[in-house]
Amino acid sequence: MPPVIEKDVCIRCGQCATVCSEDVFFGSKKKKTPVVTYPEECWHCNACVLACPEEGAIRLRIPLPMMVCYK
Amino acid sequence: MTNGDVIEADVLCIGGGIAGLMAAIRARELGAKVVVAEKGNTLSSGAGGIGNDHFLCYLPEAHGPDLKPLVEELRKGQLGARLKDHEAVRVWLEHTAEIVKLWDSWGIPMKYRGRYEFAGHAFPGDAYPCHLKYEGKRQKAVLTKEAIKRGAKIINRVMVFELVGDGAVTGAIGLHTRENKLIEFRAKSVLLGTGTVSRLYQGLTPGWMSNATRPCTLSGDGRAMAYRAGAELFNVETLEHHAGPKYFSRSGQATWVGVVRDPQGRPAGPFVTKPDRRYGDMIIEVNKGLFSEYAQSGKGPVYMDCRGISKKDYDYMMHWFGHEGFDALTNHLEEKGIDLRKHAIEWATYGKRGSGGSILQSVKGETSMKGLYVAGDETTRSISPAATFGWIAGENAAAYAEGVDMPRPGSAKEKIKEYKAFLEELRDRETGPDWKEVNIALQQIMSDYAGSVRSETLLEAGLTHLRRLKNEARATMIARNQHELTRSLEVLNLLDLGELVCIAARERKETRGQHVRTDYPYTNPKLDKLLIVKNVDGRPVTYWK
Repeated sequence: MPPVIEKDVCIRCGQCATVCSEDVFFGSKKKKTPVVTYPEECWHCNACVLACPEEGAIRLRIPLPMMVCYK
Repeated sequence: MTNGDVIEADVLCIGGGIAGLMAAIRARELGAKVVVAEKGNTLSSGAGGIGNDHFLCYLPEAHGPDLKPLVEELRKGQLGARLKDHEAVRVWLEHTAEIVKLWDSWGIPMKYRGRYEFAGHAFPGDAYPCHLKYEGKRQKAVLTKEAIKRGAKIINRVMVFELVGDGAVTGAIGLHTRENKLIEFRAKSVLLGTGTVSRLYQGLTPGWMSNATRPCTLSGDGRAMAYRAGAELFNVETLEHHAGPKYFSRSGQATWVGVVRDPQGRPAGPFVTKPDRRYGDMIIEVNKGLFSEYAQSGKGPVYMDCRGISKKDYDYMMHWFGHEGFDALTNHLEEKGIDLRKHAIEWATYGKRGSGGSILQSVKGETSMKGLYVAGDETTRSISPAATFGWIAGENAAAYAEGVDMPRPGSAKEKIKEYKAFLEELRDRETGPDWKEVNIALQQIMSDYAGSVRSETLLEAGLTHLRRLKNEARATMIARNQHELTRSLEVLNLLDLGELVCIAARERKETRGQHVRTDYPYTNPKLDKLLIVKNVDGRPVTYWK
């Protein structure tokens, strides 16, 4: 479920939790890897990914009901 | 729960989206003490939170000295129905050149490769293309910085949910979304920049409320509290829908450079036959319901087909995708190996986005209540009027504040006490439905009884169900923490608004646009006016204006 944090890469700066307007990271603690408490409230705006200073520490996983249909 | 914090302001901006921040900047420039109360974080909040790439404007140097031909052309597109008020359109468009220049000077690039570029939202042959391409990806960061630079105080993570005042609005009550506390705002004037009403109807994925064109947090808080305070709302029975990629709900149709085609590859509309960066396919603006109609008749699916796009136009489109806030979508396409040059993407009509209509307002952003102003999506669902009327309403709210005294302490005391007890009860309950359960039930009733098909019997039954649901929610809803408490207040606002939609829909005894009454199938030209709903002594009263 979105977002997905790579614990080994995350530098625990908390930028993602600070910027998220939906507060899907509610309950995250300072200087700890943020927790994704409410993944289904993610609007997939990508603000957390953009705010993250560490390449590869966070990404969005798009849930299956939002799959893009193509031919 | 504590209720110690008291914050005073000349102008309180509720909601730090495009309109709220523009109002804050302008009011601060005029010397007002400004506070912005934002439910999320102004760096990413609101409908413009992740960027935009079109700014509708009238630039005399590009369009000539006469505004009229541009307006005439604009009426043919998706904003047509909203451009009835000639004075509002004139005031808006006449201010756009100033805003474009301001934004550019603040660091929101309004020029592409050194010049003004108009593209998209346009029919081939348009003489006055007026949708300016601009690089809005960082617009919220820039506006936040400008507001802070001028001395506006931004308080993030506060959901303002109730207005205070007797006759005139003199403040508001907010709930901190992370800490267990209520905040009292005392203000000479209050501006609502709270956005539109999302989450009232089932979206593309029923039960998955965040799969919507607007953020989940936009729950019509401003409209609900304005109504409760006694402000006039109009045409809330109106329904809005939108179209975009299936199943990935996103606004921004005009950023796509492609052709809407049926399964046989035939263009669905008469406007374009090959992708062209100048236009986009205007059939979507002419009929957003097209995708549903094709699907329901078995002729679908319908595709947004960018195949055949030139390399130059493809690079151009992808550049603007980033500014329109499509990063999550483009990353997803890349991950799944979906190349828009090779694959056509199915599109869908996104059902009902929510209630149209708005808080009644003047061109100065004044509501029917003294001291209460409004701007943003509550004015017109577009970035340019949000910026423009945010600026104008901020100016007028500051001017009003100059003429009144700071409200005396104590006026919110009773309300705070009442809310505190209620919110603590929600937190104390151990079992019961949470906000999501209530919201899904609400969406179900709205979609079935006040959705695409409406009639007296359906609306009457729907209203009964809604009132039962509301009573049940108030009596049993639980909130496990502060976040869920915030969401609970949102859903209570939505319940109020759902009720108003049903009441107004019963009163509008005709079919008009998305408001389809099977018992009144014709449009009545005499009802081409505003249906007002207002709270009078705790009861909703309707009348025509």
